[in-house]
Amino acid sequence: MQSNQMQAITGKELEYIVDSISNEDLLIKQCAATAAATQNPTIQQACQQYIRSLDHHIDLLVQAIQQHQPLAPTSPQQ
Amino acid sequence: MYYQTSNNSQFMQDEDLLYTILADLKRTVREYTTATTESSCPTVRQMFTQLTNDTLRMQGDLYNLMKQLNMYSTSSKALRQDVDKSIQDARNLQQKNRQFVQQKTSAMGQYAQASNPYQQQQSSQNPYYM
Repeated sequence: MQSNQMQAITGKELEYIVDSISNEDLLIKQCAATAAATQNPTIQQACQQYIRSLDHHIDLLVQAIQQHQPLAPTSPQQ
Repeated sequence: MYYQTSNNSQFMQDEDLLYTILADLKRTVREYTTATTESSCPTVRQMFTQLTNDTLRMQGDLYNLMKQLNMYSTSSKALRQDVDKSIQDARNLQQKNRQFVQQKTSAMGQYAQASNPYQQQQSSQNPYYM
C-alpha cells in the first residue's frame, strides 16, 4: 500500500471492515468444525488451508484499521 | 464412499458442512464486491479488491473439491434451441442498441465522432463491431 494514497477512513468503510472480520471469523469456525467432524483427509486438508487463508484475511483487515488509526479525527467533522 | 450412514453421531454430513462453507464464501464475495465499490480511500479499495479475488478463488477451489467428491450437482445442460435463441435475441438487442446510440450521437458532430477512440479501437479488434 502506498502511504501517499492513504485517506482517513469513512464510517461506512469501517463498518464494512468490521462486518468482514465477522464473516471471516464465522468461516474459520465453520472450517474448523468441518475439519473436526469429517473423516475424509482431503476435506480436512482443504479446511486447514482455508483456515490459514481466512486468518490472513483477518490480518489484512485489522492492519487496514491500524494503518488508518492515526488519520482518524478525534471529534466529529463536517 | 466416505459417508457412514449408520454413524448417527456425526454432527452433520460432510456434504452439508461443506455446502454451508460454500454458501458463506459466496455471500462473503458479494459483500467484498459491495465494499470495494463503496470504498473511498484507494488503499481500502485495493484491500477489498484483493480480498474479493482471494475469496472468489477459495469459493472456486471448494466448488471443484465438492464436484470431485460428487457432492455438487450442476443444473441440467441448456438445450441447443435455447442457446440459439439467446444468441439471436442478444444480437437483435445489440442491433437496436447501436441504432439508439447512433441516433443519440449523430447530432454530436464530426468532432465527437472523430475523437472517440473507444469506437475506433473496438471496430479494429472485434469482428462483431462492423
